[in-house]
Amino acid sequence: MKQNLISSVQIILLLPLTTVGLTSQSFPGKPKIIRCRSLEKETFSCWWKPGSDGGLPTNYTLFYSKDSEEDIYECPDYRTSGPNSCYFNRNHTNSWTTYNITVTATNEIGSNSSDPQYVDVTSIVQPGSPVNLTLETQRSANIMYLWAKWSPPLLADTGSNHLYHYELRLKPEEKEEWETVPVGVQTQCKINRLNAGMRYVVQVRCMLDPGEWSEWSSERHILISGGQSPPEKPTITKCRSPEKETFTCWWKPGLDGGHPTNYTLLYSKEGEEQVYECPDYRTAGPNSCYFDKKHTSFWTIYNITVKATNEMGSNSSDPHYVDVTYIVQPDPPENVTLELKKPINRKPYLILTWSPPPLADVRSGWLTLDYELRLKPEEGEEWETIFVGQQTQYKMFSLNPGKKYIIQIHCKPDHHGLWSEWSSEKYIQIPNDFRVKDMIVWIILGVLSSLICLIMSWTMILKGYRMISFILPPVPGPKIKGIDTHLLETGKSEELLSALGCHGFPPTSDCEELLIEYLEVEDSEDHQLMPSHDNGRPSKNAKITPKETDRDSGRGSCDSPSLLSEKCRETCALPSTLQTQDVRDVPEKKAGKRSWESHCVASERKALLSNNESARSTWPAVQFPNNQPPVFAYHSIVEANKITLTTTNMNVGAVLVENEGRHQSLYSITETIPGGMEEMENLHSKTEQTTAQVKQNRSNEKTPFLDAALMDYVEVHKVRQDEEPTVLLKHKEKSGKIEKYTISGASKEYTKVSTVVDRNILVLMPDSRVLHTPASQEPAKETSQNRQQSQVDTNMSYCLTAPRDCKRETSGSDYMDPSSFMPSFK
Amino acid sequence: SVPPDPSLPAGPGAALALLSLLVRAAAPPAMCPPGDSGCRFLSVVDLFDRVIRHSGRIHSLSTELEKYLPPRNNELGRPARKCHTATMLTPNGKEYAQKIPREELAYLILKLLQAWKEPLSHFNQHIENLQELPGESLSKAKQISNMVHELETGVEKVTEKMQSMGIISNSLHGMASSEAAGLSISNEANMMSDSDFIHCFRRDSNKVQSYLKILKCRIMPENSC
Repeated sequence: MKQNLISSVQIILLLPLTTVGLTSQSFPGKPKIIRCRSLEKETFSCWWKPGSDGGLPTNYTLFYSKDSEEDIYECPDYRTSGPNSCYFNRNHTNSWTTYNITVTATNEIGSNSSDPQYVDVTSIVQPGSPVNLTLETQRSANIMYLWAKWSPPLLADTGSNHLYHYELRLKPEEKEEWETVPVGVQTQCKINRLNAGMRYVVQVRCMLDPGEWSEWSSERHILISGGQSPPEKPTITKCRSPEKETFTCWWKPGLDGGHPTNYTLLYSKEGEEQVYECPDYRTAGPNSCYFDKKHTSFWTIYNITVKATNEMGSNSSDPHYVDVTYIVQPDPPENVTLELKKPINRKPYLILTWSPPPLADVRSGWLTLDYELRLKPEEGEEWETIFVGQQTQYKMFSLNPGKKYIIQIHCKPDHHGLWSEWSSEKYIQIPNDFRVKDMIVWIILGVLSSLICLIMSWTMILKGYRMISFILPPVPGPKIKGIDTHLLETGKSEELLSALGCHGFPPTSDCEELLIEYLEVEDSEDHQLMPSHDNGRPSKNAKITPKETDRDSGRGSCDSPSLLSEKCRETCALPSTLQTQDVRDVPEKKAGKRSWESHCVASERKALLSNNESARSTWPAVQFPNNQPPVFAYHSIVEANKITLTTTNMNVGAVLVENEGRHQSLYSITETIPGGMEEMENLHSKTEQTTAQVKQNRSNEKTPFLDAALMDYVEVHKVRQDEEPTVLLKHKEKSGKIEKYTISGASKEYTKVSTVVDRNILVLMPDSRVLHTPASQEPAKETSQNRQQSQVDTNMSYCLTAPRDCKRETSGSDYMDPSSFMPSFK
Repeated sequence: SVPPDPSLPAGPGAALALLSLLVRAAAPPAMCPPGDSGCRFLSVVDLFDRVIRHSGRIHSLSTELEKYLPPRNNELGRPARKCHTATMLTPNGKEYAQKIPREELAYLILKLLQAWKEPLSHFNQHIENLQELPGESLSKAKQISNMVHELETGVEKVTEKMQSMGIISNSLHGMASSEAAGLSISNEANMMSDSDFIHCFRRDSNKVQSYLKILKCRIMPENSC
């Protein structure tokens, strides 16, 4: 049982297997060549339909033979034309041959061949369908046209170009019949006589000659609009007010539907029900409406529509709402001018001026315009925009020279509205010759100046020595000195001395003044003299003003200034020994520490200082004759004496004298102290003596004239005893006062120079006034006696009294009148 | 020409005023705090320039504020907004504004400003409760309200000055009654939608500015007109 059951199951299982095995195990069915076709008469393809495959994998083989040959060939290309096809390319295609083609299906069991197919390539030509068909409608003179365009069929072999004939067919969508339109060789077609408002279907096909027509291309649909219909609705494109007083609206018409169409603009104002029609269709051109001032209201909204109407009906635009305030768009500014300003010494700048658009009434205040300008270099890409505000001019400073600029301006109402169009382009060439001109000027200047420099340096090299001496001249000898020298050398000192007498002339303020001036100068004369004597010190002494030296007159009458100056010079000329002495001997450090020459200079400076002081205090006094003499007169004498003393190695006294003398002089500014004539004479004589001593002590360094002046002594020439006792002094040089003294020391005082005889003889007269002032005489005599006792003492006392003497002398002014010799110096 | 300012002393005052005029011609006038006695030389032109600038700023602010308050969907395409000041007869064009008496124009400006004072403060309170509005718009609304008060003060000052100088007559008739009118119409303003409200205000601020400019140029045509 079990075996039976199993066998039965096996049978059941096997049954279907055997049936399967039976069906699949047959040879394939017979394939069928369904079509052979050439697209362009150069190649062709054949397709077949497989028969039953017999349940086994089947291979299909295409064999062909040509009518002229016995050979059988297999298909050269199974792939190009798709499955179950064979493609014969150019090399395997011959237009003049008939192909005998069979397809054999083969599997494991067996094979089966199709019926032979005889193919004439020329007769099987059929191109592909045209592609890229497009349709569009066009309106011309109110007639609708349909334009159809397409492309030739695609080819596997793109290298060839063939001429196709085309055919087009069309029909309204809802109809069955096609209307066929032969086209020819063009790839486009214009079709008219179409009904507006209908949808059409269009197809196109093509053929090669000879050959079959291709398949119809895919369908294209199109709506033919227009025609006998109401117009399309127009569109309001823009409303604009150019001047904030009137405005205009424009619209764009739609399709007119093939009939003449009228357009009507209707508007209503905010808050009003009434609808108005456009007041003026003409002023602003076609398809526009102009609202004049009467019809323009501000701060109200206009509701505007445009209605297009023809026979077939009407159509209205969408409403357009307008608030006139905000549609103000002015015209561009006008009269734009560019002016290049070239201020001197500054960079050039550009002034732009313009005027508001002529329509805009900016003067009423109703419309206020803001301006904006833009500029760029001609070759530039980007505009630079500058907001200007309400002004109608603008200055531009930062423009690159040598470039050409394009400038435009536009304007806009402030706070609302729109920018105007840009004004027409204005060009300005920024010249770059400013700097070139400047450069030329500078180059010329530079060349000239360098030339001058060259010439100068050349001459310097050639005449270097002269130039140096010109620029740095040798220190010149003082003018005064020169005059002095001249005077002394030519013996004019005698004239000078004789002039001292002032005989016959009443004392004058001039005399005093001159005397003062003389005395003042004496110090400076020292300075002047020094450089010639010792080259080591000119710079210090050069500070003395020549004016003072110019006043060097009449001093000699009082205290023989030249001698004093010589003395000072001598002291300065004997530096080393004296200086050491000073350091050693002088207790006061002030003087001791100083070098000798500096001491000398210092004292002179002090004298000058005090001179200045006294000059201030005494100038008023000078104007009154017989008044207090100037301080510096005696002061300088003191200085001179002091110097003299120091030169004679009386060191202890020197500094003291200096100081005391200074105090004294200062003191005596306020005090008029009558001084004796003798004292004065004493002083002078003392001076002379010291001078003489100095001269004797000194080595022979002195200048010749000084030597002569100092060394020569005076002898009494003659004493006239006739009317008044008169002493005639004979002296070679000018030290007449010394003789005077000696004479006066005997008994009488010969204070008055009566006359000068023979240029060398001084006639002295006894002064009666001296006798009248015994009180003043007393101390003078004492001092003179003291002086005789001890030279140091006398020097001291003399120095103390010297100021008085000098004052007295000048106040008396009987003694001499320097005015007489003044002219010789002038 | 400008009548001489009687408040100025004759000699140096006139020279000073002239100087200040010249200075002003060259540069914008320095701001004077209100009530500053140092500003007594302020001319009418000066005051006018200030109130015009002020009104311009108000207009700009209201334009900005209007962007925050777009019309609602059901209001789109419904332009016939009824402003509460629409009942006032105001010049709607240049020629009309140039024709009406100067006193009346000044009065109109004041009336317009007064008509907005109350509604603006109501509006401020109202939009403060609106959650969707950004704070920026609230501050703008507040600023507008304050500026309208200031502008009214400024316009009053100019008007007084012009009256004192005899430029315009003193017959500002119905100033008192206008207050009542402003109150009555302010109720209407409260009925408006926010977008309508700000739209109307923007329009009126532009009106005020335009009238001020016209008035200035009518009174002082030589001063930058």
